[in-house]
Amino acid sequence: MIFNAFRSEWVKLRRTTLVLGVFGGLTVAASLFVVLLFSQAAAVGPGSADLPSLQVLAQPNGLIHGVDRVVVLLGIVAFGVAAFQIASEYSLGTLRQVLVRQPRRRILLAGKYLGVISFVVAAVVFASVVAGGVAVVMAHLRHVPVGAWFGVTGIKDLTTALGELLLAVVGFGTLGLAVGLFLRSAVFAVIAGLAYLIAVESIVGRVLPALNRWLPGQLLLGVGQGGNTTTTFPRALIVSGIYLVGVAVVTAHAFARRDVTA
Amino acid sequence: MLSSSLRWKTRVIETHTESREVIPRDDFWPSISSREPLSVDASILNLQRVLDLNPPASSDLAVSASGLTKRFGERTVVDALDLAIPRGSVCGFVGPNGAGKTTTIRMLLGLVQPSAGSGSILGGDLSQPQSYLHKVGALIESPAFYPQLSGKNNLLVLARLGGIDAATIASILDRVGLLQRSTDLYRSYSLGMKQRLGIAAALLAAPELLILDEPTNGLDPAGIVEMRDLIRSLADEGMTVFVSSHLLAEIEHICDRLIMISDGKTVFQGEVAQLRATRGDELVLRPEVAASLASLAAVLRQAGFTVRIEEPSSGPETLVVEAGSDQAAALNRMAMEANITLIHISERARSLEEAFFELTGSHSRDVATTHSLGGVK
Repeated sequence: MIFNAFRSEWVKLRRTTLVLGVFGGLTVAASLFVVLLFSQAAAVGPGSADLPSLQVLAQPNGLIHGVDRVVVLLGIVAFGVAAFQIASEYSLGTLRQVLVRQPRRRILLAGKYLGVISFVVAAVVFASVVAGGVAVVMAHLRHVPVGAWFGVTGIKDLTTALGELLLAVVGFGTLGLAVGLFLRSAVFAVIAGLAYLIAVESIVGRVLPALNRWLPGQLLLGVGQGGNTTTTFPRALIVSGIYLVGVAVVTAHAFARRDVTA
Repeated sequence: MLSSSLRWKTRVIETHTESREVIPRDDFWPSISSREPLSVDASILNLQRVLDLNPPASSDLAVSASGLTKRFGERTVVDALDLAIPRGSVCGFVGPNGAGKTTTIRMLLGLVQPSAGSGSILGGDLSQPQSYLHKVGALIESPAFYPQLSGKNNLLVLARLGGIDAATIASILDRVGLLQRSTDLYRSYSLGMKQRLGIAAALLAAPELLILDEPTNGLDPAGIVEMRDLIRSLADEGMTVFVSSHLLAEIEHICDRLIMISDGKTVFQGEVAQLRATRGDELVLRPEVAASLASLAAVLRQAGFTVRIEEPSSGPETLVVEAGSDQAAALNRMAMEANITLIHISERARSLEEAFFELTGSHSRDVATTHSLGGVK
């Protein structure tokens, strides 16, 4: 039955505008980032944290440079898609139709969740593959050797970075689903969620830096970056995991119990 | 074509002057023991007493509910509602705006949890919607679909969700006349087409029970006729249809049973024919001299009749008397004794809307009467 709900969700997710918007948007953004990275990089030297040199990019982990910087972008996309998908069921009034066909609400929610998360994950993987191809082309144009990227160390670094990135995406998607379900308005859910992740956490983090280690957005950022100056990867994974399990339980309970009056 | 049959059913009878005794009120309406004019409450009690004599057997019921109650905070929206809808019937569900119709339907569909009460739908317990909803189709309020998807894909969303064979979608779209537009985006549909898609979604699961909330909303006259035919044909196939509408004339045409609610309470439940039979007919009188209308009303009231003065949209005022055609001569004689000459006496049958307004105590037009779209035949 979860699979039925999953397949049903994909009928909505596969619509042209959404696929072009998310898959295309992420792919263009990632590819543009790679082009700028290679075209602006200095030939030698260590470069900076934001802009490594071509010499650094030739290292086995060269392909994953920049991944750290796209975690927030991908998180916002995952959050927005998930919040929109669930909140629009309320704002369009379609939830009542859907619940007549699948009255087991937790199963419905699980299927929708898996559908949305798989959609965003697929978009990230697709964008990563295309951006990787663009990186190879740019490396050729800038005479950067890419042999190290495809060695054992390079592949391991790449898969680790992508795995961490996808974990963060799943986390942001879970938060988006919860916010969308509680606010029940697609536009309001997306705006409120993004305002929190981008503005509120930033302000709180600057005023009370010690809190950064506990803010969900910062923790997911730590997961996506494989650990950072704020938190280590294991700690970010555990704490954000606890948060997300709590959010999922509360969300599922509320969804199962709440009257549908929309 | 607008149907006059949905308006006042008027039959002109000849006036005559032979002497007859006025039949006492008890004899005229034997089921009512009081000589006082019926109050709404007395009317309700009487109707319920009469109509509960032959309730359907519980095994024959598609829907049964007892004491169904829903409270939102301090506000009681549905108050101890009892429902009994026999299998294979077309049952109307009427009540003024805010009477609790939609909340009741949502409780039946598991969308809203009852605060109290119990029930059974198609043999499944009301508290376990998953036990019966696979046999239920529903159109709840206005149709709600995804605007960016085609009509066909909107149904595909629901079909996949319910584990329904997607191959049935084309035949259902054909049945509601949407097959040619099935690949168009839902947002490009007219209101009538959206309503048809809502019906298609309700039929998707080949339901045994169809619950329709205002199914004729947005339909043009031809569409209303088609909807009526569709509902009847579904009933002929053995489907139970529970249809909520504010168009009383539509209900009168489509349904063989009726549930009326007001302020969350049942005020009538039974067959439409029973309701009509229980309510008496009326005589419409018009004196030669309009100024004597009030005098005539006073004379008849004094004789124990319930009368009221009506002002039609066109033409002079008339006096409406709760009496059957067999009282016409007596009324005419009483008028003559009061030196009032009648130039018109006609009989008209009580319509559903009159019964509704009387039972609910509502004279607002929350519920559309015969002259709205419902008058299409």
